[in-house]
Amino acid sequence: MKGILLIARSHLTTAFRERITLFWFLVFPMFLLVILTLIFANMGQEGEINFPVTLLNEETSGGMTDFAAIVEGVFEKAGEASHEGKEPLFTLTQPSPGEDMKTFLTNEKNELRLGRRAAVIVIPSGFNQALLERMMRPDSPPTTESTITVYTNEGNVASEMATSIIEQIFAGIDREILAQTGRFDEGRAVPIETLWVGKNGEEVSYVDFLLPGMILMGFFVTGLFGVPGSILFARDRRILRRYWVTPLTVPRYLAGFSLGQVGLCVIQFAFLYLLGRFAFGASISFAKPESLFFLILASITFLSFGFFIASIAKTANSGMAIANVLNMPMMFLGGLFFPIGGLPWLLKAIVFVNPLTYLAEGLRTSLGVQGETISSPLTIVVPLCWIAFCILVASLRLNWDVER
Amino acid sequence: MRSFTALLHAEFVTFLRDKATLTFTFLFPVVFILIFGFLMRGTGTVEHARLGLFVPTDVTNEILEEVIAHSGAIEITRYDSESALENSLGDRSIDFGLIWDGEKLTFLYDSSRVQENYAFVEMAQGIGSEFNLRHQGLAPVLTMERVHAGKAAAMNWFNLVVPGILAFSILSAGLFAISGHLTAMKERKLLDRLIVTPMRPLALLAAIACVRLAVVYISTLITLGIAITVLHLTFSVNWFHYTVLVAASTFGMMGFGTVIALLVRKPSSASNIANVLSMLMMFLAGIYFPIEIMPSYLRMISKALPLTYMAEAMRFATGVADMTLVRFWAITAALLAMGILLFPFLARYVVRVDRR
Repeated sequence: MKGILLIARSHLTTAFRERITLFWFLVFPMFLLVILTLIFANMGQEGEINFPVTLLNEETSGGMTDFAAIVEGVFEKAGEASHEGKEPLFTLTQPSPGEDMKTFLTNEKNELRLGRRAAVIVIPSGFNQALLERMMRPDSPPTTESTITVYTNEGNVASEMATSIIEQIFAGIDREILAQTGRFDEGRAVPIETLWVGKNGEEVSYVDFLLPGMILMGFFVTGLFGVPGSILFARDRRILRRYWVTPLTVPRYLAGFSLGQVGLCVIQFAFLYLLGRFAFGASISFAKPESLFFLILASITFLSFGFFIASIAKTANSGMAIANVLNMPMMFLGGLFFPIGGLPWLLKAIVFVNPLTYLAEGLRTSLGVQGETISSPLTIVVPLCWIAFCILVASLRLNWDVER
Repeated sequence: MRSFTALLHAEFVTFLRDKATLTFTFLFPVVFILIFGFLMRGTGTVEHARLGLFVPTDVTNEILEEVIAHSGAIEITRYDSESALENSLGDRSIDFGLIWDGEKLTFLYDSSRVQENYAFVEMAQGIGSEFNLRHQGLAPVLTMERVHAGKAAAMNWFNLVVPGILAFSILSAGLFAISGHLTAMKERKLLDRLIVTPMRPLALLAAIACVRLAVVYISTLITLGIAITVLHLTFSVNWFHYTVLVAASTFGMMGFGTVIALLVRKPSSASNIANVLSMLMMFLAGIYFPIEIMPSYLRMISKALPLTYMAEAMRFATGVADMTLVRFWAITAALLAMGILLFPFLARYVVRVDRR
């Protein structure tokens, strides 16, 4: 037992002495958690996004029914920050007094093409009269004068998002105009409700969704790089050969190594959990038997996967190369960070054989941050099959000493 | 000249023997396009949504069906109970749900689809607004016409991603040529041996630069070729701009790698720092998701990253985005200048003997 504990301790201390190991196993998952949370946690929320938009009001008639001024006013308001310290939804560009409108529009369309504007809105001349006529004769088709043109840059996601928001603003203005002219009865308006299906009827916060994925990523990287790295380098540098001349046996070495590896996973978990909880307000609790079971299952799966890589690689360098090739596809096609729906069949095949897919699903379902999309037994059976397969291959192929 | 030719040959053979670098240079850009391209193409927007609809049999839903049909790319699946709808939402057979009981509209969302719900909520708001008007026998008076003012090629998400990936692979190749390859030579004391020969440091650097430049150029062409043949994308490449940009960016990133190599105490730390920086830039340079969705402080960081400008210039050179020629040449010149100005420092780094 003492030998096992000593091997476990030496594995842990070696990992913490090496800056590279420390970086990839501990700092990198934390860094990724911070970056992705900062980018996606507030996506689409007012006050956090800002689109540069141009508004050109060509209508000059004014009068009692100045609809163009109403539209202009709404966009001007959207160009002001709703709260102090927050960003306005739009940074609005409008022509300065006396500026030639045609030249202004040409320049702004050019800015849109160059990606410096997300949209250019043009209220046409004759808009007030045309809109009034359309209100009088609701069945009349829209004319050029009653239509607001929104120039967009399709394919540019920012432009598409801005245009979608502009559409919502127009729908709101439409309703307001119809209500003020007495045609739309607010009292008869159909109420619209939102229902969140899943975690306690609430929307899951991004960090609660991401944190389990990030913990699994940490375990995965530790297994994928740590196990073959440690074993193959120790074998190639003939460190293992020195062990074998002591009373230490391979099973006891394996037990100690595995214990050290699990210890690394525990440390990773603690750091990531504390960062998620205290820096980003994660509210999920892992103190549930199912969640703990999936964490242990993940740790064992990736440990055996590491042995599998070590057994198929001839040298430490080739082991690292194999791990590098597998790392990205497995990590990103396991649904750890991004949704994996809508993929082509070839990538879906990787998703279905990837143990990370099942472990991520199982862990998230046990934490209540995801509904069941894969049958529950599969989330256990597939990783167990991987463990059995990896151990079988490793036991048949893994050499514990350099070839003479 | 003889020493340069010999070094060029040695560098080329070393590159071909290094399987890890070969994989990173040729395979990874393609893997990045396929994986990240498909994974992130829906970020912030939705191209096609699946809506589950439940309307009790005694409630009329003609208006609602018309409104949904008018909303664009929505595929409707009808359910005969609320629980069946919720189950489908839970197992992701549908993207969002709608219940119309004759009195109110209830939109249902899967609480765990944190990155996609934003787009579904936008879509639902559109349906709700129009339904409310039509329910009172009204039609929208304000009409809006969308006019695409950008480049035709840019209308495909992948068209914008591919040049970004090309820029990223140039960044990696240039950066790791110094903060990886050269620092590893330093670590293994190979440079110490070379400086006692008549070799001029510039000959070695020129050999490294030439090999990397050729490799990067071929690698980006292969990636572009795969994007055209496998993903059926169309690019309108200005080969002059493209070639100059690839060369300038590679030199520029070698310069950037030099800064890292000069700043770190241990040569081996340089590749780790280069790794972190390239990963940071990949996420923040607007390659996979737009800079506009990020908080203002991240947008500011993004504007300070060379990859942001390299991706922008590459989109211009491949004909998927517009840019003024002045801006393109300014970016290219800045990258080239960074490489050229830092070469003398790099030469000194090569001949600097590390004391044991």
